[in-house]
Amino acid sequence: MLWKEKYELGVEQVDNQHRELFRRVDTFLHTLRSSTSWDERVRKVNETLDFMNGYVIEHFRDEEEYQKKIGYPRYEEHKKIHADMLNYVVHVTKEYKDKGYNEQLIQQFAGRLLAWLINHVAAEDQLIGVYAKEKGVGTNG
Amino acid sequence: MADNLYSTFLLATKNVFELMLDLADITDKPVDDINTEGMYDISIGVTGDLQGEVIYCFPYDTSINIVKIMSGMEIDTVDDFVVSAVSEIANIISGNVLTMLSEENIKCDILPPMPYDRKKDSECKEYSIHTASIIKTAAGHIYLEVRLNPAK
Repeated sequence: MLWKEKYELGVEQVDNQHRELFRRVDTFLHTLRSSTSWDERVRKVNETLDFMNGYVIEHFRDEEEYQKKIGYPRYEEHKKIHADMLNYVVHVTKEYKDKGYNEQLIQQFAGRLLAWLINHVAAEDQLIGVYAKEKGVGTNG
Repeated sequence: MADNLYSTFLLATKNVFELMLDLADITDKPVDDINTEGMYDISIGVTGDLQGEVIYCFPYDTSINIVKIMSGMEIDTVDDFVVSAVSEIANIISGNVLTMLSEENIKCDILPPMPYDRKKDSECKEYSIHTASIIKTAAGHIYLEVRLNPAK
């Protein structure tokens, strides 16, 4: 499993969504990296990709709403990081489909997504939890 | 300046490896030459107050170990997935360096990670800041080469 306890922020709603996001990325990676032929994997890969992309959008939106609610001072900066990643996700997904489900493209996407997600949750998102605890605000989401 | 940059890159590398990979025991030392046999080189271009590039050399074994740690999956070859994951790590380290430098009022930007072919690098540009080091971790070692000039 990708998820580690140290990624928890101490904010219930955000932590629950992070666990779910990691679970979906984990499923996506296992589907993508299985040893069967690409033709056998591609349908399942596409399903998990769409499922995961939908959840990324939902999670970013909810996390930004939470930041706004607690008056998180790095809100605009954090929102831009989300927007940049979302643009990348949308762009690659479109290119992948336009190119007839190119495996190389989606393997590259998965590698970057894995490293980006771990760093984002382990570093940038932790600052939200620190702020919420310092201010004693909204740790129940 | 070169010493300061060396320390900054090293600190950022240690921070990222500890945070993302739980690799805490990290040592380093400067090197004169880099043996690039069996390595994947990634270049990150730098623009702004400092100009040039930073080259991260990931031995295949180190790349595989790093991605195994991150994914918790069995990985046995350096393929597009592995290269992309370690390229993103190089990108994250470089981004963290820029944040540290901006606190010292040195403003730079980075370009997306690119594969770097040492054999094709025949230009032999001169750099006033040119350091190379080996960074050793429990997952294996990497080389880090910094080639920068202050903007004129």
